[in-house]
Amino acid sequence: MRLAFLTFITWLICTSFVQPVIYTSNNGVVSFRSEAPFELINASSKEMKGAIDLSKSNFAFRIRIRSFEGFNSPLQKEHFNENYMQSEQFPEASFSGKIIETIDYSIKGKYIIRAKGKLMVHGVEQERIIKSEIEVTGNSIRINSSFSVLLSDHNIPIPRVVKEKLANEIIVSISTELFAK
Amino acid sequence: MLQRKLFITVFLTCTSLFIQAQDIDLNQMLEDEQKKEEKDKVKYVEATFKTSRLINGHSIENTQKGVMDLKISHRFGTINGGAYEFFGLDNASMRLGFDFGITPRLMVGFGRSTFEKQYDAFVKYKFLRQSTGKRNMPVSLAFMTASMVTTLKWSDPSRPNYFSSRLQYAHQLIVARKFSESTSIQIMPTLVHYNIVKYIADPNDIIAIGIGGRQKISPRVSINAEYYYQLPGYKIPGSVNSLSVGFDIETGGHVFQLHMTNSKGMTERTFISETNGKWSKGDILFGFNVSRVFTLKKQKKK
Repeated sequence: MRLAFLTFITWLICTSFVQPVIYTSNNGVVSFRSEAPFELINASSKEMKGAIDLSKSNFAFRIRIRSFEGFNSPLQKEHFNENYMQSEQFPEASFSGKIIETIDYSIKGKYIIRAKGKLMVHGVEQERIIKSEIEVTGNSIRINSSFSVLLSDHNIPIPRVVKEKLANEIIVSISTELFAK
Repeated sequence: MLQRKLFITVFLTCTSLFIQAQDIDLNQMLEDEQKKEEKDKVKYVEATFKTSRLINGHSIENTQKGVMDLKISHRFGTINGGAYEFFGLDNASMRLGFDFGITPRLMVGFGRSTFEKQYDAFVKYKFLRQSTGKRNMPVSLAFMTASMVTTLKWSDPSRPNYFSSRLQYAHQLIVARKFSESTSIQIMPTLVHYNIVKYIADPNDIIAIGIGGRQKISPRVSINAEYYYQLPGYKIPGSVNSLSVGFDIETGGHVFQLHMTNSKGMTERTFISETNGKWSKGDILFGFNVSRVFTLKKQKKK
């Protein structure tokens, strides 16, 4: 009888652990835009990796800096990697943390959520809360978001000679669709 | 007994679930995935040098595809001219050049120098690109070939003169390696050919081995050095090996190269084989190259 009770207790504890439900993506789109008085710079990458654990509302996103294409000239791309992002030293940018709101992922629909986590760019971590639109479609999760990153927050100085060509506030948009792993 | 078995089964599944249910570090998971993918990709080394010239001579870098690079270079007089010559600034010699990137590996360029009213044109092709990842290539390799035409009036118009007498050629192999983010070194075996030389004892072929490198001191500034050693027996008697040191300063679309050198010329045959200033005697010239790139072909939006 005592053993039966023990079995029951163990089972109870056991079911209280939530199983991870992981959704991932390998081809999320990240684009950024710098709107300075004299120059408009656009670049994007389709290589963002993402993962969400629905059971815990944890998430992580990563992007390889060198995968960004676009820019106004090949030299600009080189400078972006060499001088500003120093992508040899800091090859990736990432954002990982937890979704503040609890969503019932079994119900289809669009939700506005806040993602709280650490945004790592240029080797500098910033605690950020980023608003996103999340759409549960049934077999996938779509995420769209637009936010800004201040170069000064991430220790990326703007030389005085390009002050009019490079904005401190960079507008970043992401768009991705994650599927069950 | 049955109860006991049941307990063990439940306990075991439970512990295994517990282990699984431990927080999965998603960030770590993605990082590992990324690393695995990178192993299957070839990663080419970029920006071994800031521009297609090291100081006087070529670097391993090419002008990028669809880009024109306008190069304006000056060499002033020797600083041992003293205050009277304003340390050389009274005498300037210049080269105006245009470089074009045809493909990512091929570039061409031409220029005009005031020194001996010389025109020059070159082709540079990059055969190997230093890479890591799936294909490991320790060095980059390029071949550069140039021809130069001096258009001074014939020194003796009364004798038969041929256009071919005005021509000189330079062929150069460039082997370069970017050792780290800030340090790059290249070696440049070079052959300079003169169709005609001044004295009968002068060789028509000059063989030199160049070595050059850069050390970045900040993301936008590097210190460069370049030295050409002429093989004894394959040099014009009385000529001196060319040694130059300088800075590269990069600002947006410009690269400024400021340097001290003992060579007055800015084309291969003039600085490799016809340098006659000695550093030890103060025959040092101040010079600069300004490079400005123009994108001729619009970038494709991906």
